[in-house]
Amino acid sequence: MKEPNILILGVGNYLMGDEGLGVHVARALQDEQLPEGVDVLDGGTAGFQLMEYLEKYPIVIMIDATLDKNTVGTIRLIEPKFSQDFPKAMSTHEIGLKDLVESLALLGKLPKIYLYVMTVQDIANLHVGLSQFVEEQLPQLKRLILNKVDDLLPAVLV
Amino acid sequence: MSQRIVVDPITRIEGHLRIEAEIKDGKIEEAYSSGTMVRLIEEILRGRDPRDAWAFVGRVCGVCTSVHSTASVRAVEDALGIIIPPNAEMVRNLMFCAQNIQDHVVHFYHLHALDWVDVVSALKADPKKTSEIAQSISNWPKSSPGYFSDLQKRLTKFVESGQLGIFANGYWGHPAYKLPPEVNLIGVAHYLEALEWQKEIVKVHTIFGGKNPHPNYLVGGMACSISLDDASGINAERLSYVLTVLKQAKEFVEQVYVPDLLAIAPYYLDWGAIGGGLGNYLVYGDLSTTSYREPKNFKFPAGAILNKDLSKIHEVDLRSDNEVQEFISHSWYEYAGGDGVGLHPWKGETKLNYTGPKPPFEHLNVDEKYSFLKTPRWKGHAMEVGPLARVLVGYASGRTDYKEVVDSVLKKLNIPATALISTLGRTAARGVEALLVAQWSLEFYDQLITNIKNGDTRMASTEKFQPDTWPKQAMGVGHNEAPRGALAHWIVIEDQKIANYQLVVPSTWNASPRDKEGKSSAYEAALKDTPIADPNQPLEILRTVHSFDPCLACAVHLYDEEGKHISKVKVL
Repeated sequence: MKEPNILILGVGNYLMGDEGLGVHVARALQDEQLPEGVDVLDGGTAGFQLMEYLEKYPIVIMIDATLDKNTVGTIRLIEPKFSQDFPKAMSTHEIGLKDLVESLALLGKLPKIYLYVMTVQDIANLHVGLSQFVEEQLPQLKRLILNKVDDLLPAVLV
Repeated sequence: MSQRIVVDPITRIEGHLRIEAEIKDGKIEEAYSSGTMVRLIEEILRGRDPRDAWAFVGRVCGVCTSVHSTASVRAVEDALGIIIPPNAEMVRNLMFCAQNIQDHVVHFYHLHALDWVDVVSALKADPKKTSEIAQSISNWPKSSPGYFSDLQKRLTKFVESGQLGIFANGYWGHPAYKLPPEVNLIGVAHYLEALEWQKEIVKVHTIFGGKNPHPNYLVGGMACSISLDDASGINAERLSYVLTVLKQAKEFVEQVYVPDLLAIAPYYLDWGAIGGGLGNYLVYGDLSTTSYREPKNFKFPAGAILNKDLSKIHEVDLRSDNEVQEFISHSWYEYAGGDGVGLHPWKGETKLNYTGPKPPFEHLNVDEKYSFLKTPRWKGHAMEVGPLARVLVGYASGRTDYKEVVDSVLKKLNIPATALISTLGRTAARGVEALLVAQWSLEFYDQLITNIKNGDTRMASTEKFQPDTWPKQAMGVGHNEAPRGALAHWIVIEDQKIANYQLVVPSTWNASPRDKEGKSSAYEAALKDTPIADPNQPLEILRTVHSFDPCLACAVHLYDEEGKHISKVKVL
């Protein structure tokens, strides 16, 4: 059996509407037939607890919502190497995720990260579930992720 | 002349907290603590199936998933009169212990240590001397000169590349940093080792909770099956892994965390007289050796201490209408009965009424409402919750396990017991507690194994799981002692649905605004009289606030637009 190679990691808080985007994407992808060596994890609001996963996989495709000045629904792919490469208003991981990335870099154990972020609107209202507009963008985001997996797989399966 | 300084947000915490402080003659005269995010989890839960509440509350925060889920299932079990099997009690205790230790270690190294440890100074350390110091305080094997010199090289490269990242928000070089470079280097080394270590201990949650993050809980017990020779369930192999991890945790606490604490503390003994605050402590109790319903067997005894009087432990009743109450006279909420009343959580209301200034603004109007946190009171008293409260209540209850550990720490630091009521004491109490919890976890493990070997594999009680067995109306309260302090959820069930759900979380006790009589809560009280060497670099505020291990994510909730640590100074 092959070691797992790619982790698709959705993060965010699903109690906060569109902020839970990553979790919704992870859950949707868990229902798909994915190639061998590709795992999906709903990372929720965790920070440091994700360390074992970030160490285990050479490639991590991360998904999160972000608040920025782009048009709502804008999907961007970021390849962060340091914590400051992450969008500032990314999720509610005040402690954990960014510090974890930085510490892993210092330990020389940082995986290659591809971060898909989608711009969402103000998340002031707490509720469960995505707004209709963001929900409509999900298939496109899923397609981008799956295409990325297809691109990356040959390299990591060698 | 006085100055008003604002630190917003306080970094290295979960969630969003703003502190405003008035400084006169180099000391804080008055401090104001404001939760600047809103939390409406109560509204999300209303109308849902009570058996699902644990899954929602487990998502309010990335840190305390399991303690919220535990409080939730306990509240529902209390309402419905469900008694869970002994195995489930022990599994919940073990998951609790794993989280408590992980959280305390992470807090010490990753959230609090940098208030005391100067990373940049570590670059100047002599690796050989560092090794000597490390070997004199502990038997921990990673302590050779080569180990420290390698780390120092990596660190230097990291800092020189401009990628300070995790270390970017420090006030490096601040005169209040007192450690020699060698102790600073040990601190940084263990910052990284603690990170590696903690990924193992959280596996206790993966094993018993089926997954991590956000492990599974179940009303009536736990959602796992135990059988020593079952290939798919929790079998002998997985249990022995749990034991390995718990032993490693005990070792890490004994050989790294506590020795570091004892090596750093002597340089900061003045903080044994700063940041004491209220002197009132509240503990709901937790970790029963038999059943959660038998408080006499709690490892964390319940009780309240008032006015630093350790000779009397007051009884606490979470069901009483006039003990735990939440007030909103300084909080952005409204009650149907007006701003003056205090509501017991079973009658709690969560209706927002933001009347604060429109951001960006300079100062909050602290004479009016100024926080999204409500103000909880116990019999009208402002109370501090957390490890210090638990250690003091355990110590004052005359428990020998507490006495032994506390007295040994006091003796090593050569400080009196009164010095515990301070910023330093709060930080030391967390280490003391981690030591105790690490010992207890092995007892709980033995109990679980003995029980299974005696043929009891029951993990859940299901006879009252179906809603048609429930009364038309039921009320319950579930509590535990979360890493940051006393946590309870109150639930009202009507017609099989949640009619009301209120969380009173540890950071609400500690970080809340003043009450209607103008009495400060724990943070505000602890900050009073704190010396501030340089208002532009209020490191001292961070020390005291971090000593509480703030976690505002569940106390309030929203986003952090810029994620930057800002401090502003204004001359009044």
